[in-house]
Amino acid sequence: MSVSERSPAAAGNGESNALARSYREAFRRNAPGYLFLAPWLIGFFCLTLGPALGSLYLSLTDFDLLQTPNFVGLQNYVRMATADPKFVSAMRVTFLYVVLSMPLKLGFALAVAMMLNRGLKGLPIYRAVFYLPSLLGASVAIAVLWRQLFAADGMVNSMLAIIGIEGPSWISNPRYSLYTLVVLSVWQFGSPMIIFLAGLRQIPTDMYEAASLDGASASRQFWKITLPLLSPVIFFNFVIQTIEAFKAFTPAFIVSGGTGGPINSTLFYTLYLYQEAFGNFRMGYASALAWVLVIIIAIFTAFSFLSTRYWVHYDE
Amino acid sequence: MSNEAHALPGQASDHPYLRSAILHCLLIAASFVMLYPILWMLAGSLRPAEDLFGGGASLIPSQVTIRAYTQGWFGVQMSFGRFFLNSLLIATLATLGNVFAASLAAYAFARLNFVGRKFWFALMLGTLMLPYHVTLIPQYVLFQNLGWVNTWLPLIVPKYFAVDAFFIFLMVQFFRGIPRELDEAAQMDGCSPWRIYYKVMLPLSLPVLATAAIFSFIWTWEDFFGPLIYVSDMNLYTVQLGLRSFIDSSGTSSWNELFAMSVLSLIPIFLIFLFFQRLLIEGIATTGMKR
Repeated sequence: MSVSERSPAAAGNGESNALARSYREAFRRNAPGYLFLAPWLIGFFCLTLGPALGSLYLSLTDFDLLQTPNFVGLQNYVRMATADPKFVSAMRVTFLYVVLSMPLKLGFALAVAMMLNRGLKGLPIYRAVFYLPSLLGASVAIAVLWRQLFAADGMVNSMLAIIGIEGPSWISNPRYSLYTLVVLSVWQFGSPMIIFLAGLRQIPTDMYEAASLDGASASRQFWKITLPLLSPVIFFNFVIQTIEAFKAFTPAFIVSGGTGGPINSTLFYTLYLYQEAFGNFRMGYASALAWVLVIIIAIFTAFSFLSTRYWVHYDE
Repeated sequence: MSNEAHALPGQASDHPYLRSAILHCLLIAASFVMLYPILWMLAGSLRPAEDLFGGGASLIPSQVTIRAYTQGWFGVQMSFGRFFLNSLLIATLATLGNVFAASLAAYAFARLNFVGRKFWFALMLGTLMLPYHVTLIPQYVLFQNLGWVNTWLPLIVPKYFAVDAFFIFLMVQFFRGIPRELDEAAQMDGCSPWRIYYKVMLPLSLPVLATAAIFSFIWTWEDFFGPLIYVSDMNLYTVQLGLRSFIDSSGTSSWNELFAMSVLSLIPIFLIFLFFQRLLIEGIATTGMKR
């Protein structure tokens, strides 16, 4: 790391000689690191940092992709806050989606992980089966499938018909359409489940043994041992999965045919951003939407981290 | 795999067999519910078109036919073969880029000493959290100015600059676990960092390189947003875009053909899952991945 540690050896020689040597030395030490880092550095500046700052600027303009952007100050943000009902419904839909799907998804993930952590035979098979939907879930094919599952004459209604219930057309009814996407998200509980499983294995078995010798019930063991010791993993899953949920796009796009309908009931935030940017070419406004998303995610993450002191137990 | 038992002694000893039998029943039922939609799609793709939803929720087609596959293959103006080939090419090139660029950066972060290493590492971790929407529009303008819109370049070239920090993070974790004595010995023998990288580190890192390659391939294969924005010429469509235009052109009238093509689009992912399941699951468990 430091360049200076060798320079005392050169102190006997001339001052400038030593300086030149230490520069050469510094170069020799740092060049390989920066050479290996070069592709990432170029990508970071040209494809991440530069564009991020660019969109911060564009969010203050009326950019439409064709004409040179005019600076409009905070107008885009003001419009969002005061004069854009679609923005409000996109927010509402997205928050509802996150708030409904997250507890269910993580709850299922934890429950199944605990069932699998009992030393059952066939664990790898169960684990694989539960994980598969997570792996396939992001593709268009699964969104297509979901559209048919919950169609008026789809699989779900065929099943309900067997027990004599006439189900609604889930997808085209604004009262239910969002819930079909919540179900799709919960169906993909496999990857947090695997992380929970890995976390559960870290809990020493003798803690449970000691607890049951003391006569602690299973539910007490869950609240007093499993949950506290697993809390860092729960926290991790919660943050990562929530951020992913805020960014969900494909299911809403395919299920609603790109509209976010019916009546904006599946207008996810990212779908609205896409419509504004690439449908209406309001690039300035879409940039402002993107930055609001960043701010939401940042605030959420910050609050999550602040909350950890009350419920997350790290090893002392 | 079988010694991770957390049997709760007090209760498990009461009726150990009954307990595990109940658990197995529950888990089998849950597995069935989880897989049912996929199996239903598979069954639907094998039904004759006249059987339009006649099968209801049943998994067994009254009559098995592959006509949906042969007709769906040409269901849009272009053959799905073209879309599959396009997706395969894009995913392969993107995967190579991701593995190459991420392993270079990860080697620098994990093994080389240079001024500012911690600073850059922190920035790299910071980009993990950044939603891509925030770079979306300026990137689009950039690629448009380069004349790359309606080509595959925006989908491939960024991967050669390690834009997806997740893969760097994954590899840094692994590289740090490789004993330092190995590269120190190589250094004693006068090996340059470059030689250490590809003669010592890469051969020892095959599991993590494979994990990164697999995830990279699957994510690129499934990517819908990127192609949706950048590709409009049907000759360049990926499978995901092909499916989407199938919905647009036929609505739900030829649903069994749509199902057939959907099933085909999942097969590559399913095969990877079948053969590399262990790597995928370890990759998730050690890094805590998003999907």
